[in-house]
Amino acid sequence: MIAKLISNMHFLTAMVLFLIGFHTMLTHSNLIKKVMGMNIMETGIFLFFISVGYVRGGSSPIAVPGAEGYINPLPSALILTGIVVSVSLTAFALALIVKLYNYYGTVDADKIMQLRGGEE
Amino acid sequence: MNSVYNYLPLWATLFPVLATVPLFFVERRSAKIRDVFAQAVTGITLLLVALMYPYVRDHGVIGVSYPGILPPFGISFRADILGFMLALIAAAVWFLATVYSKVYIGHEGGGNRYYPFLLLSLGGCLGVFLTGDFFSLFVFFELMSLASYVLVVHEESDAAIAAGYKYLILTLIGGLALFFGIVIAFEVAGNVDIAPGNLLFAEPNRLSFIAFLAFLVGFGMKMGIFPMHVWLPDAHPVAPSPASALLSGVMLKTGAYGMIRVVYNVYGPELIAAAGWDTILLVLAGITIFLGSAVAIAQTDIKRRLAYSSIGQMGYVLLGIALLTENGLTGTTFHIFSHAMMKSTLFLAAGAIIFKTGTRKIKEMAGIGFKMPVTLGCFTLAALAMIGIPPLNGFISKLILSMGALDAGKPAFVFLLILSSLMNGIYYLPIIISAFFGVKKEERKWSRAFSELKPSMWIPIAVLAASCLVFGLLPINLPLKWAQIAAKALLGAGN
Amino acid sequence: MNHLPVLLVALYLAAALGLPLLGRNKKFPAGLFAVGVAGCGLILAAASAWHVAGTGTYSYFPGGHQAPLGIEITIDWVTVFLHLTINLLAVLVLIYSTADLSRELGGGRAKTWYYSLFFLLLAALNGIVMAFDLFNIFVFTEIGTIAACALVAIRPKRLCVEAAFKYLVLSALGSGMVLLGIGLLYMVTGYLNIGAMAQALPKAFAMYPWNVLVALSLFVIGLGTKAALFPLHVWLPDAHSSAPTPSSAALSGLVIKVYAVAMARIIFQAYGAELFSRIPVPDVILVFSTAGIFAGSVLAIGQTDIKRMLAYSSVAQIGYIFLGFALVTMNGIVGGILHIFCHAVMKSLLFLAAGAIIFKTGIRKIEDLAGMGYRMPLTMAAFSIGALSMVGIPGFSGFISKYYLAFGALAADKPVYVAVILLSSLLNAVYFFPIVVRAFFGHKEKQMTWDRLPWAMTVPMVVLAALTVILGILPGGLVRIAELAAGAWLN
Repeated sequence: MIAKLISNMHFLTAMVLFLIGFHTMLTHSNLIKKVMGMNIMETGIFLFFISVGYVRGGSSPIAVPGAEGYINPLPSALILTGIVVSVSLTAFALALIVKLYNYYGTVDADKIMQLRGGEE
Repeated sequence: MNSVYNYLPLWATLFPVLATVPLFFVERRSAKIRDVFAQAVTGITLLLVALMYPYVRDHGVIGVSYPGILPPFGISFRADILGFMLALIAAAVWFLATVYSKVYIGHEGGGNRYYPFLLLSLGGCLGVFLTGDFFSLFVFFELMSLASYVLVVHEESDAAIAAGYKYLILTLIGGLALFFGIVIAFEVAGNVDIAPGNLLFAEPNRLSFIAFLAFLVGFGMKMGIFPMHVWLPDAHPVAPSPASALLSGVMLKTGAYGMIRVVYNVYGPELIAAAGWDTILLVLAGITIFLGSAVAIAQTDIKRRLAYSSIGQMGYVLLGIALLTENGLTGTTFHIFSHAMMKSTLFLAAGAIIFKTGTRKIKEMAGIGFKMPVTLGCFTLAALAMIGIPPLNGFISKLILSMGALDAGKPAFVFLLILSSLMNGIYYLPIIISAFFGVKKEERKWSRAFSELKPSMWIPIAVLAASCLVFGLLPINLPLKWAQIAAKALLGAGN
Repeated sequence: MNHLPVLLVALYLAAALGLPLLGRNKKFPAGLFAVGVAGCGLILAAASAWHVAGTGTYSYFPGGHQAPLGIEITIDWVTVFLHLTINLLAVLVLIYSTADLSRELGGGRAKTWYYSLFFLLLAALNGIVMAFDLFNIFVFTEIGTIAACALVAIRPKRLCVEAAFKYLVLSALGSGMVLLGIGLLYMVTGYLNIGAMAQALPKAFAMYPWNVLVALSLFVIGLGTKAALFPLHVWLPDAHSSAPTPSSAALSGLVIKVYAVAMARIIFQAYGAELFSRIPVPDVILVFSTAGIFAGSVLAIGQTDIKRMLAYSSVAQIGYIFLGFALVTMNGIVGGILHIFCHAVMKSLLFLAAGAIIFKTGIRKIEDLAGMGYRMPLTMAAFSIGALSMVGIPGFSGFISKYYLAFGALAADKPVYVAVILLSSLLNAVYFFPIVVRAFFGHKEKQMTWDRLPWAMTVPMVVLAALTVILGILPGGLVRIAELAAGAWLN
């Protein structure tokens, strides 16, 4: 059991990271922390994806004569796209936070809710 | 089925609906042309319906269907003797009410909104009577119900808006229930056509009972059957009088027509009798008759009294449907006809009184008979017919209904009919008595007859009142004959 | 001809990139350009539909690399149906926006940015519905999310920025879950292509049932968040009601539906209807969509702001679509697909009409709308048609989808959902009818004025109202496409 867990360490870590990020996003009222949570969550997923494609002892998927046992290149390629998506989400979120700070003078979601009050 | 006359039900239904488009442009030019146009449209519609008669008589059924519109049901038009008869009554009363509206609405205003919706609801109403399947019936039923909402709230008083809202929501509930029933029927039978021998449910099980209740709620809501009558006494009185006449005189009958189709074409009398569901209908009918008549006595507003009376009368109609005998069905069909004549007369006459005197309270109408002799004469005639005094048409329908009750072995309902006639007497006679004898002798001075109202108002009342007499008295009573043929056809369908 | 759908996405991407450049010229007519591009898009979508009708559905492989290695794009009837819906709505909404945007966004170059974002959104929406590859669905979803949030945040009001942030955070959560789900499926099947995955999944399910099930629930929750499936709808009312009117119409009318379609495509085409209904997921979705239908309607009843009310109504309406899909019967899915179109048309109509009222009078409060039928008769007539259609009155398009849903519920032997559909119609009536009634009846001011709106606002409303009525009476063609689409999903 323990051995199995250890050999699947990367999956476990990925899940833990995912949950930490998820929890941070939902429970923290600080908007910056929410964005951090988002990044942690995504990192967890990236780790998960990469480990799916990883082959123990495999070399990088570049056709070199003599090399055998490539790691699966597809997840890595996908995660490159995933990182781009994540970066743009983060950038956009941060831009929104700047705007929110200009409007409300705070980056705390609860305080913003209070300031908002009955405004429609 | 491709002859020209097969398209008559289609055109009779669509003509008034399509005529609203030119009306919309005409009415902005001149109110006079608008009135004439509306009268012409209803007149032509009446003619179109009447034209069907020779073909319906010879062929039994005429109609066309368009499965491509609104799949998977399709829209179909069909006229048999029952549908034709009711459509004819509807078109006739509509025509007379439109003629009557000229002065009444001219005085009240808002005609530019009133007339298009009057025509729309005529189209919807004829559509209900002249369709060949339940789905088309439902579509036109909703068209009629929604279009007549505008007629109900026409006066836009707070009371009218409140009553209209009640009407709208309850109508919607009724429509949804009806739709529920139709969907179940379609799922079970694969079609919802109205045709002899095409019973949609074969056995009384849970699903067919749910559908039955759904149909009962859907059509019963429109009929004003207890306990679904709550909207009726609010909505009918607040409408302008010609619209009240149509609502009470004609549109209630679409519900009755639907119930007839449900009992005799969807389930068949055997299944209803075997399942014992006729008892439900009989009990509801009994309560409705008693409640409508009893509550009417307590009303002080003349139109409210008439509205409650309508509830009682629709109880008769449901009773006739639920008796499952030929005489009962004939009586029901004939009573639909009679009640259309009587109640329209009463509402139009009441409208004329309100128009002239501005009061709706019954006790303020003392001596009115001398000021408006023609109107009150017609009112009296129709009221007597309501009570069931021979030889008026109301007497005939009650007689046949009683015979039907006896045929069905339920003499208790004969007693109920007599009791309710008595109650009708209690609430109609005082109006008449006080109108003619409610003032001191020296004040009883006859005004010159016919000077009371413009001819366009009293002629429709007089025509309707005369028909109460004519169709009770005449030896060749076509509507009665049609009712008998229709009843035979419907009962034959079940065998 | 095979390239048309791909060209559609390319066209919108190019327009999105080109607009900010072209907009550097102050005299550049951005609105006209946008309408023109969307018009081209509609023509492309129509031509593609014509092509598919002639030669049948097909798969397209960019660059000629065959699946599963290459990327597969499917041009089936679902794609065609959604492409037509999206591009038709886009043209109408963009025409409307040319008149409305200056008021909502103020002057300057915001308008150009707005159109650029709108095209980005359109590219994403068109892409999602034709991607036949989980990762492509994910990428397009992300593009759509960012563009949609930006379309909310673009209005210089603090409320909009806040709503957009909320939308963004919840969407990001959703995308995280979707990506994780994709990873889980990829782990056990080795494919991302939906078709190949469908073949590998039954075996994978036998070996690793938990992976497959967890992935399924992640898809349902992740895409459900983006599609505002109750109770994951919390972001929707703020975002949809505070956005500029054209955005509201597009967000409520199109965006949430497209995510629902993406979910249905994964469920029906990767998992397959059989595997999907072997586990009780459909029942769970049914329960949530029912709860959404009622909660959305009840919350809508309590609203005082007209756009907020319409937004809550969208929560209820998306419930119908999920309800139809989760019934897993032919008629239910047909009803769901039809409702995508019908709701897109009527909700856009309602939002545009509400926007026109705000544009002209500044009134947002429902109680202040009394007598509006005399001040803006055309707009209120259009609103009434939309409202009647929402309630499901026969003769309007909303009725068509509802009765297909009802049949679907009966065919699935769940008549209780017929009752749900009917009851919710009643609830719709409770919040729509008073508006219509008070607009036309019971008001003292009887002087009829003709609403002087820019034609760019009236034309889209009239077209949408006409569509609602025409498709309510003659839905034949639409139903046929929906049936073909549903047929592909159920096999």
